[in-house]
Amino acid sequence: MSTTTSLGASPAAAPRRPAASPGYWQGVWRRLRHDRVTLACAAVLLLMLFAILAAPLIAPADPYQTSMIRRLKPVGFGNHLLGTDELGRDMLTRLLYGGRLSWFLGITPVVIAFGIGGTLGIIAGFAGGWVNMLIMRVTDVFYAFPSVLLAVAISGALGAGVFNAILSLTLVFIPQIIRVAESTTTSVRALDYVEAARGSGAGALTIVRVHVLPNVLGPIFVYATSLISVSMIIASGLSFLGLGTKPPEAEWGLMLNTLRSAIYSQPVIAMLPGLCIFVTSMAFNLVSDGLRAAMDVRN
Amino acid sequence: MTASDDTPPRLSRRGLLRGASASAAATLALPAWMGPAALGWDPAFAQVAGGVLRVGMTASAVPLSNGCPDQGGEGQRFMGITLYDQLVMWDLSRSDAPAVLKPGLATAWKTEEGNPKRWSFTLRPGVKFHDGHVLTAEDVIFSFDRGFKRDAAWFDPRAGAQIAPRFPTLVAWGSEGPGQFWLETSIPDSTIPYALTWLGIVHKGAWEAAGSNWDNYLLKAVGTGPWKLTSFSLRERAELARFDEYWDAPRVPKCARLTLLPLPEANTRVAALRSGQVDFIEAPPPDAIDSLKAAKFTIVTNAYPHNWTWHLSMVEGSPWRDVRVRKAANLALNRAELKELLGGLMLEGNGLVPPGNPWAGKPSFRLSYDLAAARKLMTEAGFSAANPVRTKIAISSSGSGQMQPLPMNEYIQQALKEAYIEISFEVFDWNTLITVWQGGAKGPNARGCTGINFSYAAFDPYSAFIRLLKSDLHAPKGVNWGWFSDPAFDALFAEVYATFDPAQQNALLARVHERIVDEALFLFAAHDMNPRALSPKVQGFVQAQSWFQDLTPVRMG
Amino acid sequence: MLLYILRRVLYAVPIALAVSLLCFLLVHIAPGDPVNAIVPADAPQAVVEQIRAEYGLDKPLPVQFGLWLLKVVQGDLGRSLATGRAVTEDLAIAVRNTLRLSLVAALIGFTFGTLLGAVAGLFRGTWVDRLAVGLAAAGVSVPHYWLGMVLVILFSVLIPALPAMGAGPGGSGDWVWDIAHMRHLVLPAITLSVIPMGIVTRTLRGIVAEIMNQDFVNTLRGKGLRRGGILLHVAKNAAPGTLAVMGLQLGYLMGGSILVETVFSWPGTGFLLNSAIFQRDIPVLQGTILVLALFFVTLNLLVDLLQTALDPRIKRA
Repeated sequence: MSTTTSLGASPAAAPRRPAASPGYWQGVWRRLRHDRVTLACAAVLLLMLFAILAAPLIAPADPYQTSMIRRLKPVGFGNHLLGTDELGRDMLTRLLYGGRLSWFLGITPVVIAFGIGGTLGIIAGFAGGWVNMLIMRVTDVFYAFPSVLLAVAISGALGAGVFNAILSLTLVFIPQIIRVAESTTTSVRALDYVEAARGSGAGALTIVRVHVLPNVLGPIFVYATSLISVSMIIASGLSFLGLGTKPPEAEWGLMLNTLRSAIYSQPVIAMLPGLCIFVTSMAFNLVSDGLRAAMDVRN
Repeated sequence: MTASDDTPPRLSRRGLLRGASASAAATLALPAWMGPAALGWDPAFAQVAGGVLRVGMTASAVPLSNGCPDQGGEGQRFMGITLYDQLVMWDLSRSDAPAVLKPGLATAWKTEEGNPKRWSFTLRPGVKFHDGHVLTAEDVIFSFDRGFKRDAAWFDPRAGAQIAPRFPTLVAWGSEGPGQFWLETSIPDSTIPYALTWLGIVHKGAWEAAGSNWDNYLLKAVGTGPWKLTSFSLRERAELARFDEYWDAPRVPKCARLTLLPLPEANTRVAALRSGQVDFIEAPPPDAIDSLKAAKFTIVTNAYPHNWTWHLSMVEGSPWRDVRVRKAANLALNRAELKELLGGLMLEGNGLVPPGNPWAGKPSFRLSYDLAAARKLMTEAGFSAANPVRTKIAISSSGSGQMQPLPMNEYIQQALKEAYIEISFEVFDWNTLITVWQGGAKGPNARGCTGINFSYAAFDPYSAFIRLLKSDLHAPKGVNWGWFSDPAFDALFAEVYATFDPAQQNALLARVHERIVDEALFLFAAHDMNPRALSPKVQGFVQAQSWFQDLTPVRMG
Repeated sequence: MLLYILRRVLYAVPIALAVSLLCFLLVHIAPGDPVNAIVPADAPQAVVEQIRAEYGLDKPLPVQFGLWLLKVVQGDLGRSLATGRAVTEDLAIAVRNTLRLSLVAALIGFTFGTLLGAVAGLFRGTWVDRLAVGLAAAGVSVPHYWLGMVLVILFSVLIPALPAMGAGPGGSGDWVWDIAHMRHLVLPAITLSVIPMGIVTRTLRGIVAEIMNQDFVNTLRGKGLRRGGILLHVAKNAAPGTLAVMGLQLGYLMGGSILVETVFSWPGTGFLLNSAIFQRDIPVLQGTILVLALFFVTLNLLVDLLQTALDPRIKRA
């Protein structure tokens, strides 16, 4: 038993049995279809994704247009459905545009870490020996830092900015994904039929492609989805500390920060960005849980 | 506990006994523990006769207690002029006129007949330090040695780093008899009395009592000020107690104790004030003002010379070299709206000193909002909506004295866009911005920025004008950030240095200031009004028109 | 077994060394000049250079690292650029404050997490389970610094019942475990406890459910063992895994409290770290990160050993 995240779920359990058969994926889908919570959360996420992608089309106002006479107006003021922020910008518009950056900051580090960490982890697990040793020992070093501490340390050293935030979060997640990928791959490699394939002289690349990848990508993917919510929360936390996004960009964590003092005059407005982070991160977590449950063949 | 106790208050395990008695008292007050925090949380302190004034500062740590505090002007405000006196001091007793200098530990000073580079001072007799020692000329010499004499055993590099830049012209000092002190400058320098307000007077015996170690001294600081240090915990709090034997009887504090808490985060300060953990906070955020007033807290503000500007670069390639662009930017900014953003807590930018200041003068260029005129100037300069000026400004995300940097700069960005000036920002954290400020516009850290939003207080002619614009004070020698160079200004500054009559000097400085505004050398945005929020229990506070404030008249009702 | 312990302990040494190197490098890749933390904005260059030499910042990096490590081994983390005080002094206070906060948060989080997780695992699929799962998901999904702000507004400002900041009426220096001081702990500890609560709930629920599905529980049931007996059995089997997660969570609490400590001005390691970052106080930054990371390494080691001791089924290679 090991737990590899600070905030999110424990990693997906390595599959006990091979999952590469076509019937497996049908089973996963069948189980997912009956999981109403996961479906509802997925629908929320899709809706949100659509809204933020279409922000330039559906947003009611210019995200950067300020107005001092309209600043900090309550929900439903005039044509501002969700009120206005401290510079009189339309909150709904800012939240939509802010979602773009928050999602970007939530997903990008995980995607990059999935690519790099997954590759390194599979190599380590499949190759074993000194390659495994080298990769895993380096991983251990990064692993010796609690994730928030590591993210803050790297961002604090490099300074504020979207690029630096992504860099630091990616560095935080790579070792975590390497560990999951490595342990999953190791357990798959030990399976009888993979051993058999090796014995029959199949090339390493073929074995990886045919036998290993189909079995390990799923669990790594599920684990990675659970990291998205962690990434989003840490990224907005960095912005909150002044180590993430820079103004005038809209980003939920930064909005939360700049609206902090409005909490005395417009508490609802001031809480909206935090609520957005909360809802999104919760939906990602529940979808990730649902996926894991559906992919766990024991159920 | 006094600062002269043999056992110094250890930072790690301070006041065991007091802690125990506090807890005993707290245990007695048990029933109140879920009641209003103002009643229940701190019974031990509420019992002190005369009351305790608890202040929430914006500093991120308690300013150094050594007499030459860090944390800029705020450090001097809470640790410099509370624990210590200086030879010359600010008169902070009035709120209806700008603060002026007054005699401190020196009762009189003058330059020598025929030699304006030599100053002599008559020291105040009978002034007692917190440990009972009586002030002598040797103590003043010791205080200068520890800040400027690099080969002295008691040289204190940390204090020196703070104090040296205040005395760019100092060359020698000494005493020519009891109660007499003299110093010499490299050029005639009329700004010496202002510089002297920064140098806290310490004495050698106190340093020796701290093991001849300036770091230990922080815990056992001894001055002549109206408050004495009782405990010092750098990242949490400092506690000061009334010094009953203070030489200036009317200024013996009304409160028995003063607690200083570093609370850099504005909302934490508000929450601490509202939950009754502090009585007095610096710089409440504008958006919390209404709710504070509604909850019966007092908001005090006043005009004082603190400037929030964009300091513009005059380096080759900067668009600000064109006076039309500078003027256009100043005309495009609607300062009334900026004031609205700050809930009224600013003065509209009037130059480098606020309106009514003796140095303000009567500039012919008016800092008013006139977008049409701004556009006209820009068109003359060859720009248009399709061909705007594009440039980059260095700003900070927070910082003492920076007011509300992010929303204010975002607002200005939008305003200037209307006048064909498209600004992008390079956001630094406050401390890195200081690097950029020191490095000048040509420095590597400037990253191509042609302006810097760096706020500062204009205490005296040197800090208000000279260091910013004298042609030889660019990096690394000074903070003429934009490498501004104009012989006419240099000539004026030389005249200022050599003019010792206050009225004449003021007239001269008004001419300097008129010229600065007429040439629109900065984007003059705002003057901080230094807002403070006080609990209804705080009485007798007089907000002086100064960066500094006197806490001695405050009583707790 | 003894060999395993020895190997495990020895293996922690190179990790600790590599962690030190990383800590050292972290703060030197940064832009900005640390000297500016100690001199005023308009200090002349000569003063700046002198301070730089005094603090050894003018030497090449490998030399700086060597000197630094040599001192670290002797328990000397250098002096703060901002204050001139020994870093260890500041850290000792900060670590103690963070430990206080983390332990109380852990206590709250683990208690509720254990309750929720056990109930959810035992009654899988019922509404109790769904509630527990929902709470746990909320716990790990809520931006806790935001939760802290909301709690302050509710319980310090609107209903002024609890202090909004600080670690005791007289600072953390005279801490005692009485009500006047513990009231300062309530809000930050609750804020900090939601994550471990969520994670322990999820972990325990999974473990308990798995055990309940296993054959031996059915066998016990078949044998007619009463509820209490089965529970005891489940508890015994779920303990190692749960304890391991709890141990790690304690480490995360120590390292991850920066946001909560910032919101509540709690004078712990996170608060220290935050101010060191913004003051670019390199020795404090390095020292704090190093101590927290080493603490985490040690905790990992202890958890591993404890788990091995508790769970005889684990066979180590």
